[in-house]
Parts: sequence; structure tokens; C-alpha cells
Amino acid sequence: MARINPKFTTELQSYGAFDTNACYNCGNCTAVCSLSDEDNSFPRKMVRYSVLGLENEIQTSLEPWLCYYCGDCSATCPREAEPGELMMSLRRYLTSKYDWTGLSGMLYKSLSTSVIAFVLLAVGVIWFASSLNFEPELLLHYGHYFEMSAIGSVFLLILLPNLIRMWNMVIRKPKVNVSFSAYLKSYSELIVHMFTQKRTLGCDDSQTRWFQHLILVIGYLSLLFTTVFLDWFATDSSFILVLGYLESAVIFSVTFIFMIGRLSKKTQVSKNSHPSDWFFVIWLFLMGLSAFVVRLFIDLDILETNIWMYLIHLTVLVQWAIIIVPFGKWTHFLYRSFAMYFEKLKSLSIS
Amino acid sequence: MKKKIGVYVCHCGGNISDYVDVEKVRAEIEKDESVFLSKTTMFACADSNQKDMVTDIAEKQLDGAVVASCSPTLHLLTFSAVAERAGLNKYNYIHANIREQASWAHSDDKVGATEKAIQIVKAAVAKVKRSNALEPFRVAATNAVAVVGAGIAGLRSAIQLAESGAQVYLIEREFFVGGRVAQWDDLFVSKETGKELITRLYDKAMNHKNITLFTGAEIIENSGSVGNISLKVKIAPRHMKLDCNEGNLGKAIEVCPVVVPDKFNFNITTRKAIYHNFPGEYPQLPVIDIENCTRCGECEKVCENVDFSQKDEFLNIKVGSVLLATGFDPYEPKNDEFGYKTIDNVVTLPQFKRLVHYCDDKLVYKGKEVKNVAYIYCVGSRQVDGDNKYCSRYCCTATIHAAITAKKKYKDLYNFHFNRGIRTYGKQEVLYDESSRLGDIYLQSFEDHPPVVSKEGDKTIVTINDILTADKTLEVEADLVVLVTGMVPRQDNSIGSLLKIPRGRDNFFNEIHMKLRPVETVIDGVTIAGASQGPKNIMESMNSSLAAATKSFSLIASGELSLSPTIAKIDVDNCGWCGKCDDACPFSALTKTDVNGKLVAAVNESVCKGCGMCMPVCPSNAIELIGYTDNQIESMIDALVSTD
Repeated sequence: MARINPKFTTELQSYGAFDTNACYNCGNCTAVCSLSDEDNSFPRKMVRYSVLGLENEIQTSLEPWLCYYCGDCSATCPREAEPGELMMSLRRYLTSKYDWTGLSGMLYKSLSTSVIAFVLLAVGVIWFASSLNFEPELLLHYGHYFEMSAIGSVFLLILLPNLIRMWNMVIRKPKVNVSFSAYLKSYSELIVHMFTQKRTLGCDDSQTRWFQHLILVIGYLSLLFTTVFLDWFATDSSFILVLGYLESAVIFSVTFIFMIGRLSKKTQVSKNSHPSDWFFVIWLFLMGLSAFVVRLFIDLDILETNIWMYLIHLTVLVQWAIIIVPFGKWTHFLYRSFAMYFEKLKSLSIS
Repeated sequence: MKKKIGVYVCHCGGNISDYVDVEKVRAEIEKDESVFLSKTTMFACADSNQKDMVTDIAEKQLDGAVVASCSPTLHLLTFSAVAERAGLNKYNYIHANIREQASWAHSDDKVGATEKAIQIVKAAVAKVKRSNALEPFRVAATNAVAVVGAGIAGLRSAIQLAESGAQVYLIEREFFVGGRVAQWDDLFVSKETGKELITRLYDKAMNHKNITLFTGAEIIENSGSVGNISLKVKIAPRHMKLDCNEGNLGKAIEVCPVVVPDKFNFNITTRKAIYHNFPGEYPQLPVIDIENCTRCGECEKVCENVDFSQKDEFLNIKVGSVLLATGFDPYEPKNDEFGYKTIDNVVTLPQFKRLVHYCDDKLVYKGKEVKNVAYIYCVGSRQVDGDNKYCSRYCCTATIHAAITAKKKYKDLYNFHFNRGIRTYGKQEVLYDESSRLGDIYLQSFEDHPPVVSKEGDKTIVTINDILTADKTLEVEADLVVLVTGMVPRQDNSIGSLLKIPRGRDNFFNEIHMKLRPVETVIDGVTIAGASQGPKNIMESMNSSLAAATKSFSLIASGELSLSPTIAKIDVDNCGWCGKCDDACPFSALTKTDVNGKLVAAVNESVCKGCGMCMPVCPSNAIELIGYTDNQIESMIDALVSTD
């Protein structure tokens, strides 16, 4: 038994959903969706839940994460109800429901809040830098120190609790009976999907999007490793040096392609860009580019006289690590792969 | 006895001649000395042959004709017309069917088929020998039509008839015109209200000299037949003098102590025993509801126009045709059907529409503000177990229209449509679109799992297994449940019984042919319009009203009616009036009459259809059917069985 709540659509629209009321239940979206099978009506089930405002059902659903937005449903919708974009909005909605701090929701729903947060952090960085008298050596030292501590604290304080909340919503609360061995047996699912996103392969006709995304993920993760653990900005190893250049170049090139895509709106997936989508892709681009230039400045030995360049990089980095990673679109990296893991657990559950 | 008969035997291409030796048939028939001319022809129906026949009949002065060809259903009228064109009375033409009855039926036996064909043609010749020239009866038709019911269908029909030139008696049982449509506000698709539509028609009707309106009037007697129908009309008094003073009337209503549920508002409000339905109601003259009036006399004290001395009036009118536009009743749900009358906030769609009319800023029912409205569709229509198998056609549109109206009128109102498939057909689909864009929620179930209305504490809950959400059980907390009730036939069928109008399985008045004769009834001269025939929306009612008006007028337009002469005839010498023929007659065409002191049966020529039901029941064989006399039929039988 579920009680209908027609007010929910208004809330969902603040996450970017379009006119869900336009849906007249024709089922075209389900007919074209490659994920739809006899047991699961993608994406119509979620559309219907959204129209009826069945929040509990939505929160226990993994479906939004299993959709990789090929956009076929939106392209075939005779009422232009944009079911694909609805799934996207549901991911934002779920992200904010998983987040114990509630900041995700605030940032998703309000552009001005996001802008204020970005500005405050930028001011903070500059204030901090001024307190160090813009001393390049100290700045680089603290910058590196920030990277390491941010990774640890964001994961422990925000991401881990949120993943546990997600598990609670989709496994524990709906009383999915999972044996301990199932958790162990299925972990490979998590790793494979986290690093390959191979599910996307079933979605598009062309594999380009999957390939671009894959090298971006690999580029991003390895640049993270290269800067944090191999200390790229201070390295003497020419191998690490070149590796860093390569990785940052991959990042800003691929994100540049993505930005062009979002501007030209040629594919269904890039037609509707929420501010959070722009923040994600622009900050990733800026991260790659600024890291590249900073290292270039170091190699040309002009960084000390042009410390503003490092300040830009540090600002982007701080904003990225404190806003986008814990509360923004970055989280889809975790939720998507954990959703695949939980889905596997559900399929193994003793019913 | 005819002595110069022409016989034409048709090959029908080969349809007949492949199995029947048509030349042999012709040769056999030729032997009959009354047969003056006999021919075979490749296609009797061909233009060239028709011309030859006309020439033959006219030049050779033939006094009878037979064509032996296909079924009379196909070509009887063709050859009757040929006979008439040649100056031969069409009743002196007899059709013989040797295709369906001989060649096609006996294609395995050519000799037998030929023999049978010969017998069939001989029988036709035997009949034509004894045939008489007959002329149609001509009956003067009264140029007047009684239109029963002054709802939107009746008003529109009346205007159409009056404009065509007929005198119209518009007979309304209620004291005010407008019927159901006067009860509605905004209508789809124009913004015009029901009252505005009625006002427009009323003004037009009242300004036409040919239309006489009777309110509080009922037909209580009926006699005669198409062209000349006599009706007795009972007119109930309003108990008000005609020239009223509006100011005092208000006072009279104010002082009346009797309070009764107001039927005009489907009992959601009350009215006094002296009332009018709403300001500006037509006729603009209140009425005293004498059944509920206690005769306390309070109104008389303040209003000089009250007149309790008025009595029923009776009026005899004569019309050529009757047009029935008696409308429908809204379905009244059974007790506890979806909580009706057992759960406090369950109303019907008509009640809801009146409620929306009366609530201005907030929708309030029984003192509580309404935010969530649940509409349950198909109540009393498309019944699985009940008698009403039909779809009431108007309700999906009317409900969605009412829901949109309410949504726009009141803030934060939510509509939930518990339907069995939405049927906003045709142009009305835009309403469905508008409603879903406004956020109305549609939930659907099959007929075997209807939604359930129940009470949980002081909350009313509607539950459904929604087939649009994979049969998931869903519930809505409803502040008001609206039962979308369809149309049912008028509970009071007195006019139908009086005029003997047959009713269909759905109990609405039945037309002769749903597609080809949609406004005529088997009772000659009586046509049906609007929702009296079955559920219709206003648009469809207008179509049928105009059709019925045209059909009624066509009967009387020429001032006389031409009726078939093939009817029953009484042999006065043999008849002793036993009444058996009257019992057998399905059209009440036989009456007892006195001929020179002797009681005998008489045939009403304009009512008799010539069906022949009276003939076999007559103990003294005193009834003949003109055109099918015993003599003619017996001669045919003799011919069929003769062996020479």
C-alpha cells in the first residue's frame, strides 16, 4: 500500500525534472529501453512513481543508477516528457537523500547557494595564502598536505556514511535478505563497474561515449595518484613528470570535448545540462588544465614569480574536493558502482 | 382475369441459364393462353431490356407482366417502375424468383431446376391473372408536430420545425424549460454556459409564432395515426397569476415555511414550496409545488399574485407527428455503492457540478474544505453484473471538464481520476491533455477490480490496484469522492407506454435502424431525439434533434400522406366482431364499429401495415389482405403443385 502524493512532482522539478505530468502512460519509453525486461519496466516504473509521488518506493529503488542515459526514451517520447532527464533528476534526488549533511540537496536545488559556496572557498584560499604571505614553497607544501587530508576526511566523514545510508535504504529497510557470503562473492561486481562502467556498453549504439568516459576516469584516478602519492609537482623522476603531463592533458582534452557536446546539444544526453553538470565538467577541465600549466611553470622555472597560477589551481582543487566530490556529481562514481553491487546482492537474496 | 400477359425469362448472364433451360421455361409458359407474349433476355434488368418492356407493354396493351429473374429484394422495385412507366399499374406486375430459388439452389440438378422454375413462373402467371390495379391511400396530414420535452433537444427540434413551417406544440412536464442543460455552467468547448444556450434557444422559440409552449404539461391520451394524431394534454397550474410583481414574489418565497430538497441542485441544497430554479429561469414565473405546499397561506398574505384557485386544464390538440425528446435521468447509485449515502463525503458528478457552482473561493462540502477530489468513473455504466452494459459517452468528458474547472477555480486542489480507460473521444481529447498537464493523476483498473472507498477514522480513503503502476495497490486520502454517474432512461416511461414506443435492451427508446433510420420508431409518425434514445452529449443531441425534426416534418410537409394499399379489408357480411383480430394486431389498427346496426371490425387504413396477422385468427374468414387475397394465393399454390 502506498499513498499518493501529488506535491512530490514540484519537489522533483527543483532537481531538474521536466513536465512529468505530460506522461500519458503510452509506454514508448519502456519499449525502446534496452534495460527493460519482463520484471522491470525501465524507465516507466520510475516515471510512474514520480508522478504519483511514491517517495518511499523511489528511495528503495536502484533503477536510476542502473540507467546510463542513452536518451532513447526521451527521443521517442511522444509527449516530450523527457523520461531520460527524469532519471537524471532522480539520481540527483537520491544523491541528496543519501547525503546525511543535507548539503547535496541545497546545492542541487539552488544555483545561488552553489555559487556562494564556490566564492567563499575561493576567498578562503586567498585569505589562507595571504596569511602565508603567498610564499610559494609553503603554498605548495600546504596544497599537497590539503590533497592528502581531503581525500581521507571526505571519504570518512561524508562518502562512507552516505554509502551506508544508501545500503540502509535499498537493502536493510526493504528487508532484502542477503547472506554474508553473498557480500563477499559479489564484490567483484563493484570493482569491475567502478573502473570500467561496462554497463554503458549496452546503452549506446556507438562506443565513443563509453571510451571517452573510461579514459577520463582512468586519467582522473591516475592523476590523483600521481599528484598525491607520487608528488608530481615536486618529483625528479622524468617518468612521473611525463606521466603527469599526459594524465592532465587527457583530462582537459576529454572534458573539453564534453563541454563542446553540452554546448552543441547534439546528443540526447547532452541536451539538458543542470548547473551541477556544468560545474562537474568545467572544474574537471580546470583541474587538468591548471595542474598542467602549474607543472609547466615549474619546469620553465617561472612559478615562483607567477604564484597566482598555483593559487588558481589550488582554488579549483579546494572547490572540487570540498563541494563537487562530496556533495556534487562526483558521487555518481561511487553510487553507480555500488548500485550494481547492491543489485547483484538483491538478485542473490533469499526471498 | 387478365388475358394479355407478358412474361420475360432472364438468363442473368448465365447465373440462371447455366442450370435452368430458360428457353424451355419460356416455351412451357407460352402454352398458357393468357400469355400474350413471352421472351427470354440475357439481362432483364439491363436498360435496353427495360426499354423493350416499356414498348411491349404500351404498344401491345398488355394487362399484366411477369419477370422471372432474381430475388424480389433486388429488382421488384425495378420492374414495378418499368410497369408504371409503360402505363401499367404496378400491382399488375408480379415478380418470379428463379435464380435464388431454382438455378442457384439446384445447380446439381439441371432438369429439376428447370421444372421448378416452370412451376414458379406458372404460379406468378396465375397470380397476375387475378391481380387488380391498386392505388395508394391518400390521407390528409395535419401540419403540426407535438414536441415532447423542452430540454435542449426539444427546443432545438421545435425551432427547426417551426422554421420549416409546421405548427409546434412544445410540451414540457416540468414547470421550467431547459432540462438537464440548464443545470450546467461552463460547457466544453465554448465558454458558453448551459443556461446561456437554453436562453438563446428559449428566446428564439418564444419569438416564433408557430411555437406554443406548455409547461407542467403531460400527454395523457393518444389516438389516431400518422398524419392525424389526436392528443389530450393535461396542464397543471402554477398557482400564480401571469402578470407578477417581482418584488412581492421575493417576499412570498421568503415567508414560505416549507423547506424541501432542491431537485434542480440534485438535493445538495433546499428550496421552498414556492420557488423558481434560479433567477432568470424560463419561464420567469415561479411556481407553487402543490405536493409539498401546506396551504398555510403565508405567501398569499404578502403576494397578491398567488392563486390557489387554479385547476388542471385539459387541451385536445391534433398533430401530424410526435417528436419525443424526453431526455435521461442521471444514474442514482445504489446504497453503499462506492460508499454512496453511507460515507458522508461521497457525491455524484451532477451534485459535484452544482457544488462547484455554489462554492466561490473555497470548495467546501458539509463544512469541510476539499483539497483532494477522487473521481470514480463508470458508476452505473459499463456494468459487468448490472443491466447497464452501455457506455454513457458524456461522462469522461464531463468529469475531466469539471475537474479542470474546479482545479482552476480553487487553489491547491488535486484531482485523482479512478478510471477504466478514458474515452474523451474526438475533439474532446484536448481536455484530457489539459487535465494531465495540470497535474491531474489518472489511475486505472479493470472492471473486475474496481476501486474501493472506505473510512479510516475520519478520513475517506480510495484504494485501487493501479494497472498503470503494475497493479500496485495505491491509495488516496480523498476529501470528496465523486461518483461519475452515467445516463439511464427516464424512470417515468408513461409517454413511451402511451405511444407504444419500443425500448431497446438498454431500455432507452429504440430506433428502427441504428445506422440507417436512427430517429424513426416503428410507430409511424413518432420520431425520437436526444438522450431519450441513448446516452448523448449536447453536440450529438443536436444532430439527432435536427434529424428527427426533419423526419417528422417530411411526413406532413406535402399536406397529405400516401399509404400502401396492401392492407387488411373486412368482409362486413361475414364479420360478427369477436375481437380476435384486434388482439392479434400489433398496431391497434382494428376497431369495433357499427354498420347498420351490426357490430363489425373496421380497419384504420393509416395504421394498418398489411402484416396479415389478423387473417388466420378470424374464425369466419372475413378478412382479406388486399394484394394477397385468398383467391390469388390459392391459385398460386394450385399452379405450383399442378402436374400438367
